[in-house]
Amino acid sequence: MVAAPINRALDFVREAVSEASALWWSFFDWLALVEWRKLYVTWFLAFVFGISFQLTEPAVWFILLSFGVKVLAGGKRRAELTAMEASDKANVATLERRLMEAQMAALQAQVEPHFLFNTLALIGQLIETDPKEAARVHAHLIEYLRSSLPQMRSSGGGTLGKQVELSRAYLAIMQARMKERLAVRFEVPDFLGSSPFPPMMLQTLIENSIKHGLEPKVAGGTITVRAHVEGATLHVDVCDDGVGIDLHADEGVGLANIRERLALLYGKNAELVIEMPPSGGACASIRLPYRMTEFD
Amino acid sequence: MPVTALIADDEAPLRDQLRARLLDAWPELRIVAEAANGAEALELAARHKPDIAFLDIRMPGMGGIDAARQLYNRCHIVFATAYDQYALDAFEQGAIDYLLKPVTPARLQTTCERLRARLDRAPQDIGAQLAELGDLLKGGAALKPNYLRWIQAQVGGSLRMVSTREILYFQADDKYTCVQTATTELLIRKTLKELADELDPDEFWRIHRSTLVRVDAIAEVYRDLRGRQMLRLRNFAGELEVSRNHGHLFQQM
Repeated sequence: MVAAPINRALDFVREAVSEASALWWSFFDWLALVEWRKLYVTWFLAFVFGISFQLTEPAVWFILLSFGVKVLAGGKRRAELTAMEASDKANVATLERRLMEAQMAALQAQVEPHFLFNTLALIGQLIETDPKEAARVHAHLIEYLRSSLPQMRSSGGGTLGKQVELSRAYLAIMQARMKERLAVRFEVPDFLGSSPFPPMMLQTLIENSIKHGLEPKVAGGTITVRAHVEGATLHVDVCDDGVGIDLHADEGVGLANIRERLALLYGKNAELVIEMPPSGGACASIRLPYRMTEFD
Repeated sequence: MPVTALIADDEAPLRDQLRARLLDAWPELRIVAEAANGAEALELAARHKPDIAFLDIRMPGMGGIDAARQLYNRCHIVFATAYDQYALDAFEQGAIDYLLKPVTPARLQTTCERLRARLDRAPQDIGAQLAELGDLLKGGAALKPNYLRWIQAQVGGSLRMVSTREILYFQADDKYTCVQTATTELLIRKTLKELADELDPDEFWRIHRSTLVRVDAIAEVYRDLRGRQMLRLRNFAGELEVSRNHGHLFQQM
């Protein structure tokens, strides 16, 4: 128990030293940046103070010391400080540029030509055999294109409701193509529809699920889109019971892009979590701070 | 003896369409089997021994190209695809027959005429072209060794999947290995040695007996007051030590 007081004393000394060094550096910075005119006034005041309190010697030392420091190191320190400020500004600029780039990438997230051609082929066939179904798929395709083509995307696309609508249209088309091989389930409460949600993220997760999880599976399977609020966090999950994740396959640009955009938009408050449930398949979950409306 | 054919496409409506159009273009042709994927196509082809196989390129499980590689010396192959840039380029150059979906009657007519002219000859040897095409469609994946791209970690009751692109470094920690990402830290049972063997050596570097770092995450290398080489990482507060044995990785150019 002898160690405790010694440790406490050491802690105190350590704190005192760090405090003193912090004080010294703030004095140093002030000295480097202060105008000479103001420094003369300070010296004069220090001198008057010294004389009137019989402390002439320390006052003279202070004046000499600060003069020396200002002449010798002031310029360099000032340059350092300006450089630091500039690099701070540059960091902000870089961040803004990266955000822009990520948003551009999301905007350009293209409608896959393979998807488009196959859907058009399907519509062509259905016109002959089942015109009603053809009209239905055709309407879904238009709805899907309207919200996913960058030129046509309206500005109000940033809510969960809009994103779910887009996904419903896409999945309806995929169901018409894959028939009984694809089952779809939506578990999204209506009240979450107005919550802000970045565009094209849900869509990317669903396309991944279909492409890597269900299309390669001969029997097909079910895709479940689920949204719920836990505490102050909005969870949006896309789960499938497909072939699961190939441990040796690269995650692809889609997921990397989502992660990058989440980091830029929400910092550490948002994440993309990918899991393999014990029952098989794969689950991807976007978690971000929940707000009721955009103006909340 | 009537000419027989097999159709393989995973989308039922498109199978129906091709069958209907073939009936118009070539009434004597008998479609003996329809398959929904490559494996089924092989099985049905073995049973029915068709003269012609119409194969969709993208099908679940085994695709059209892989199926064709096993069929091409037994029957004439015609591919069908809606869109596949690589494949179309290859088809234009080579002698492989193909149809673009949706199939137009005029185009199908041409294909059928070509097939009729060829039927009395043995099927062409397109093995080499198919092999090349297979590699193209896989995006050259077959050429690269299979490195580990996902790390599995038990978190609570579920199995968390972490892409290697997310990981900053691995650090050996007693019986476990610690996986550090920008947001979390996870423990896995795989040893550092096993990881080093399975991961892409260009993606992760060994910088210490107990540390594997993701090369892309490194922001800078510097020497601390004791002269040790240290790494600072992008978007991460901690530092990593580079051991003497691995210092050569960071020599100046």
